[in-house]
Amino acid sequence: MHRIGTRSGTRPPFRPGTRLRALCHARHARLSPCVAAGLLVLILGASCVLVAGCSGDKRHVDSITVSGSTTILPIAEQAAEDFQKQHADTSILVSGMGSSAGIEAVGVTHTADIGTTSRELKDDETQLDLDMIPIANDGIAVIVHPDNPINGLSTNEIRQIFAGRITNWSQVGGADIPITLINRDEASGTRDAFATTIMQNAPFEIDAVVLPGTGQVREVVTRTPGAIGYISVGFVAPRFVDTPVKALIVDGIEPTEENIATGRYPLSRKLYFLMPKHPSILAEQYLQYVLSSEVQEGAVRDAGFLPVISGNLNLPTGSTSQSSGDK
Amino acid sequence: MSDSGNKTGKLVMVSRATQVKEAALATLFFICAFVAVLAVFLIFAFVAWKASPLFSQIGLWDFLTGTQWSVEDNIYGIVPFLLGSLIVTAGALIIGAPLAVLTSVFLSEIAKPRVRNIIRPAVELLAGIPSVVYGFFGVVVVAPLVARAGGGAGFGPLTGWIILSIMIVPTIATLSEDALKSIPMGIREASFAMGATQWQTIYKVVLPAAKIGIIDAVILGMGRAIGETMAVLMVVGNAPQLFAGINAPISTLTSQIVLGMSYSSGLHRTALFGMAAILFLISMALVLTVRLMARDQKRKTKKKDKRL
Repeated sequence: MHRIGTRSGTRPPFRPGTRLRALCHARHARLSPCVAAGLLVLILGASCVLVAGCSGDKRHVDSITVSGSTTILPIAEQAAEDFQKQHADTSILVSGMGSSAGIEAVGVTHTADIGTTSRELKDDETQLDLDMIPIANDGIAVIVHPDNPINGLSTNEIRQIFAGRITNWSQVGGADIPITLINRDEASGTRDAFATTIMQNAPFEIDAVVLPGTGQVREVVTRTPGAIGYISVGFVAPRFVDTPVKALIVDGIEPTEENIATGRYPLSRKLYFLMPKHPSILAEQYLQYVLSSEVQEGAVRDAGFLPVISGNLNLPTGSTSQSSGDK
Repeated sequence: MSDSGNKTGKLVMVSRATQVKEAALATLFFICAFVAVLAVFLIFAFVAWKASPLFSQIGLWDFLTGTQWSVEDNIYGIVPFLLGSLIVTAGALIIGAPLAVLTSVFLSEIAKPRVRNIIRPAVELLAGIPSVVYGFFGVVVVAPLVARAGGGAGFGPLTGWIILSIMIVPTIATLSEDALKSIPMGIREASFAMGATQWQTIYKVVLPAAKIGIIDAVILGMGRAIGETMAVLMVVGNAPQLFAGINAPISTLTSQIVLGMSYSSGLHRTALFGMAAILFLISMALVLTVRLMARDQKRKTKKKDKRL
């Protein structure tokens, strides 16, 4: 106390503040060397721990990052989880940011070891020198409210609807309800596939609600009587959701597994892993695991997709053998 | 000001070591404060630099007055988003500002301490809820209600207004309560002494006296609304079209930047940075307005003091 007393004599008098403030000040004056030293130690210590931690991690735990399509997320996540259980000291980080972001992450910024995409590469993306390995088959289902009497549409009708030229369900033989369009955002691989197969690159009606996720499209269609949207068949009837939507028959062909695998269903596509030409060992192991029958018949089917290979281990499909031939 | 005296903080009767320590600490604090300035400057410089090709490749006029936005066709007019941001913000203010200001009047003028101690933390807690939670609430609760009332999918300005107006309440309410509390008690007592009722005191005396502070609060709330991204993205429908009714989807500057940034490249990315620069300018203008108003008020009160 004595010290504070003498000091306050030399210091400018404080403005009449609260007692608390004066108290803080007094304590601060006494502790200031400790505070300064403490701060310094804290900062230095923190940075040391960080640096040590990072370098330590690399030595002990193998880690890869998988990012890209939200469609592929459930497969990649489930496979990563099981893979890490079987291989201790490995870490596989999976994230879904959209196909375009995944392609950029593995091909341009190199922030991911594996990119995932649910669409084909565009011209400038094919120059990125990436291996494109199909890991699952998928179909896009055009979904409507379960109470909608419409059961099927032609690709042309769907195109007209999404281009905004057909605006009422009565125009395609349904009830007199205005059509509420639900679209995906432009980063979506599903939208891209839909645009190329159905729209044939005719512009979408801009009046459509744009939602940034498959789940949200499904949710909104579930509760909106006049709505129409499109999602991966894998999400039409997922295990943990009990709200129904109706998937339409397109051009007279049902979106069944068989029709999608054979490509008869007009909205079929493949899901890909994108790998750099010289992937890390762990990335290669993870890919092989995803292509194994365990994942193909497990996680892939669980997520509602179709296996690219049935029960045949390590048998790459057409484009893999091509790209490995390039090596 | 004058009574604080020795402002430079030079200590006369202490040891050299203490002086060095004090100086070092002063420097540390300066650096901390400077980080903010540096960050603002760097971010603005970066955004401006990234947006600069806009002038030659799109043209400022086409960019600011174009009503069509189509990434597929490389057409970038941001009027739909400017208008969208404006509509969403204005509506949120019209609903939210009265709600918040009346809340603050209640808290500062009417509520008993016990009631106040329940309501004030509740209002402050609103500010602590992550915006994605508001958005989620909007998608799951508000949008279906709006859809039931007005048809469509329930995404559009109306849903945005409802969500945003709740989000800006804490900002406006706490700031305007501060403004009200800074009005000296004597003014209220004088008013009561003249025989004014409580309502008359609030309406004729306290509110006018705190006017500038309350307007400040509303402007800062406006800044919050215009910059809000996640919740808005989730509820407005994100259709790049001009206003087509309170129940038809629209898009805002912020939500469009989020939707586009993950995959944009080339001219599209430039356009997004241009939109970011415009958002930056808008919030800068808002902050500047607040500052100027505060300065004006200070000058006025000084003049009054002199007259007295």
